[in-house]
Order: sequence, then structure tokens, then C-alpha cells
Amino acid sequence: MKGEAQTDRDLLSRVPTLADTNPRKYNKRRRLIETFLAVGVPGSLIALWQLGFHYEWIDNRFYASPWEIVSSKKLREAELWSEIWTSVQRMLKGFFAGSLLGVLLGVLMGVSRLLRAALDSLLTALYTVPKLALIPVFVTLFGFGDLPRIALIAVTVFFFVWISTMSAIMGVEDGYREAALSFGANKWQIFRHVLFPGALPQIFVGLRIAAGVAVLMLIGVELVLASDGLGALIEKGRTLFLPELTYVGIAISALLGLTFTYLVRILGRVLVPWAPEDQTPNQN
Amino acid sequence: MRKHSCKIEAIEVEKVFSADSEDEVHALGPLNLQVQDGEFVCLVGPSGCGKSTFLRIVAGLLNPTTGRVDIGINPENPTPISMVFQDYGIYPWKTVEGNIRFGLEISGISKSRTKEVADHWLERMDLTAFASSYPDTLSGGMRQRVAIARALAVEPEILLMDEPFAALDAQLRQLLQDELLTIWQKEQRTVLFVTHSLEEAIVLGDRVIVMSSRPGKIVLDQKVPFERPRSPELRAQSDFNEFKNELWLCLKGEVEHYLERVNSVEGKIGSNNEG
Ligand SMILES: Nc1ncnc2c1ncn2[C@@H]1O[C@H](COP(=O)(O)OP(=O)(O)OP(=O)(O)O)[C@@H](O)[C@H]1O
Ligand SMILES: [Mg+2]
Repeated sequence: MKGEAQTDRDLLSRVPTLADTNPRKYNKRRRLIETFLAVGVPGSLIALWQLGFHYEWIDNRFYASPWEIVSSKKLREAELWSEIWTSVQRMLKGFFAGSLLGVLLGVLMGVSRLLRAALDSLLTALYTVPKLALIPVFVTLFGFGDLPRIALIAVTVFFFVWISTMSAIMGVEDGYREAALSFGANKWQIFRHVLFPGALPQIFVGLRIAAGVAVLMLIGVELVLASDGLGALIEKGRTLFLPELTYVGIAISALLGLTFTYLVRILGRVLVPWAPEDQTPNQN
Repeated sequence: MRKHSCKIEAIEVEKVFSADSEDEVHALGPLNLQVQDGEFVCLVGPSGCGKSTFLRIVAGLLNPTTGRVDIGINPENPTPISMVFQDYGIYPWKTVEGNIRFGLEISGISKSRTKEVADHWLERMDLTAFASSYPDTLSGGMRQRVAIARALAVEPEILLMDEPFAALDAQLRQLLQDELLTIWQKEQRTVLFVTHSLEEAIVLGDRVIVMSSRPGKIVLDQKVPFERPRSPELRAQSDFNEFKNELWLCLKGEVEHYLERVNSVEGKIGSNNEG
């Protein structure tokens, strides 16, 4: 090492890289690489999976190959799409109800010490109760329709959004609040101009997590408590010994989760323009 | 209401911070101070002596532990007092223009008037080209200009400034000092200005107040003997430096006192580490 250093001059040079001289080209290249990775990594895993079937490393009585899933007749049946639509509707209703309540209560508890004192430990205790264990209670409360399913999703989403909203509101720096107070802002103005925008990036982190959780919960609820929807499809595949059906269901729910989380992220980017999303420094 | 002869009157003001009664910090006072309407008063003192604390009490962000501060204001003014904070306090989620408009929006001034005033200050602070930028993309000096514009746009009777230029380089600092002087000489607001720089205090102030190390009391209250309008060249005059030295002698003792305390604390830490 030492010998090498001597051949070099003791000179540390800071020179422009492609990112500096031609940012457009650099960004294009970077995006290309990122897209390649985003598609390539799952792509090769799927290819490996398919190969596993081809060489019979995997038992095709119990498992379905990617090709079987994609070429499944099931995918061309209108029935499947109506199942998906049923599920998506449940998930969206549950997600919106849950996040609305979560943001609302999170905000209220974030600004009010008294409310925090009154509800914090109660909600934290409820938070840890496995929601699927509540199915009998929800059925008794909401009957046998879609309502108990939606309510279960909503409750699960609620807790994630509530916690992140509350801590986000409490975490807004005091200096920002004081600046508003010094201009004579009232409570509502402080909320509108300071607390809410200040908390928004963190609230969106919560919403993104909740979006994934909504899909988890959706499938879980439908597995146990539905005769239609993706979860029921997966369950039907198991009971009728049709792995293809099960795997079609699983693949679609994965895609659903991906799409939904992505949509929430896009929404966050639109609503929080001051916080650049990708803050990793450029490393060459 | 009692008629006030002066704009700000602090009577035996003290502030004690106590998280629990166990460890109390006596941050300020007792402090007595009178500020006349339209006066520009500069506060200097060692770090931690309670300058920011006093400003926050005047701003109504903190209550004194004992004593009182009376402030005479025009009850019709929606924003009688505004403050420029030590660490800017401008909002990362608002654009430059949004930040400048903030105080105006709070006070419920009409949209068209808000726009007019904001445009005026954008131009005055040379920020027009950055009106729709977010603070994250600005330099420190630009952010500070946003903070000053935000405070001045509401036309306060009393302007509280907490080391507003501390983070700036010498040239920009001087530029903004001159800008502040111009604005003040035109509009004659009452200003309480905290600084660590004696030079800055003398260039700007009608009076310079030297505070003791914590708990801060007034050890010297000196009128600045230089005529207004003051020009930037004042800094080069010999009597300017004489006056500055006079103040420094007084401040030095307090700063040394402060440093002694810091060192003794460090000494303790050092000996703890050894033991
Ligand atoms: N919220 C608080 N809780 C407890 N102690 C505080 C609080 N704010 C200030 N203090 C203490 O009060 C003292 C005075 O603080 P202050 O910020 O007023 O000092 P300062 O004169 O503005 O100092 P600097 O020049 O460094 O800004 C300090 O010792 C500080 O630790
Ligand atoms: Mg301070």
C-alpha cells in the first residue's frame, strides 16, 4: 500500500463526474439502472422458480410454477376480476375509513395533553390485540355482510395511522410553533400553518405502512370470513386441491399491495413537495 | 389602562426554569429596563445569560417567574410585536413567498393587500427570483432575509431580533445591517436587538445594554454617542473604537466569569473521567 501511495502525488483532486457535467445523461442512466434492478431482481427470482419446475426441484403437485399462474385459465374468467374488484372495494373502504379516523384522532391526541392522558394507554393496549381474534365480536356487532370485514381492515389501518400521526404532530419542533405564536396565531392557525404541514411527511410514512397492512388484513379477513374475494379464492384453491388457484390469488394480492403502496407514495410526493423523497447522496 | 410613558418596561423580571423543583436554572434577572417608543436597543452578554429568554418573555412566548413586563401597543394593530429567531424559524414547507405572507395571513389582512406587501418585501430583500423556492434550496443568508422580511412585513410596532445576523459572513452581515438601519430610520419602530458583536450593537443601536453572566442582570446601559443617520464608514472612526473598547472592558469581565464557569465544569468532567 505504502509503495503505491508514493508513486502517486500527494494530491487530492475534486473533479466533476458525469453527474455534474451532464446531469441529464447521468439521471437517464441512473434511472435505467434502477429500473433494470427493480425489474431484474424479481424477474430472475421468478425465472429461478420456473427453472425449479422445469428440472423438477420443486414438487408440482403442491406448488404452481410462474408460467402456470400466468397462463391460468382462471385469469381469463370474468369471475376472477369480479373477485378482485370485490376485494379492492373492501380494502379501499377499510383503508379510507381507518386512515381518516387515524389522522383525526392522531391529530387531536397530538395537540391535546388531556386527550392523550385519557386515551393513550387504552389505545396502546387495543393496538396489540390481534385483530383477527376480534372476528366474532365484529360479526356480532356488524352482522354478516361486508361491514365486519371492512371494519376489521379499518381498525387495523387506524392504529398504524393513529400512532404515526400522533407522534408526528408531537414531533413538530417547538421553534416552529413559537414562530407562529409570536405572530399571534390562534390554535387553528397554528394547526393549519405549522402542525399539520410539519407532520405531513411523517403521516405519509404511516399511511404507506398502513397501505401494505390493509392488503395483509384484507386477505386474512377473506380467508376466514368470506365466500368471495381474493382471500376466499386462495382458500378455495387449498380446499379443492388446486394450487394454481391459490397461487393466482397470492400473486394478485402481492401485485395489489405493490400498486396500492405505490399510489399512496405518489400521493405523498404530490402533497409534500418540500421534502425531497430520495435523499440518499449520490455515490459513485 | 395605565398610561405608559415608555414602549417596553421591565420591572424586576426574573426567570427560573425548573423541570422538576430539583434542578432549577436561574436564567435571568432581576432585570429592570425601560425602552422608549422608536428606540433601538441592543443587548449584549455572555452566552446563556438569558438574552433569548428575555426576548421570549417580551414576545409573550414565556411568562416571567417574578416581576412584570409592560408593553404599550396600539390595540388596533393585529401584529404589534414580531420576532426574528436565532435559528430563523422559517417554515421548510412554505415557499419563500409563503413564508413572507405568513404573518399577514395570520392577521387576516385581505388577499390583495397581502400579495402587494409580500411582493414589496420580496423585492426589497432581493428574493423575487426565489419567490416559489422552498427554504431548503436557499443559502443561509437568503433564509435569514426571508425571516427578516417575514417579521417586517406585518409592520410591527416592536421588532424583536435574536442574533439575526450571527450565522452570516461579514459582508452579508454588513449589508443587512445597513438595510436594517435604512428600514428603521424610515419607519422608526422600537427594536430590541440581541447580538454577540459589540460593533454591530454600536452601529445599530441607540443604546447598548451589557448583561452579566447568568442569571443575566444589566451591568451597563450606555447611550451610543454617534449621530444618525449613521453611515457604514462609522466603523472606521477612531472614537468608534474607543467606545467599543469601553464597552468591551465591561463585557470582558462577564465573559471571563462565564468562561471560568465553563472551565470549572470541564475540569470536573475531566477529573470524573480520570476517576
Ligand atoms: N426551556 C428551557 N428549559 C430550561 N432551561 C432553559 C430553557 N431555555 C433556556 N434555558 C436556560 O436558560 C439560560 C438562558 O438561556 P438563553 O437562551 O436565554 O441564553 P442566551 O443569553 O440567549 O444565550 P446565547 O447567547 O447562547 O443564545 C441557559 O442557561 C439555558 O440553559
Ligand atoms: Mg440566545
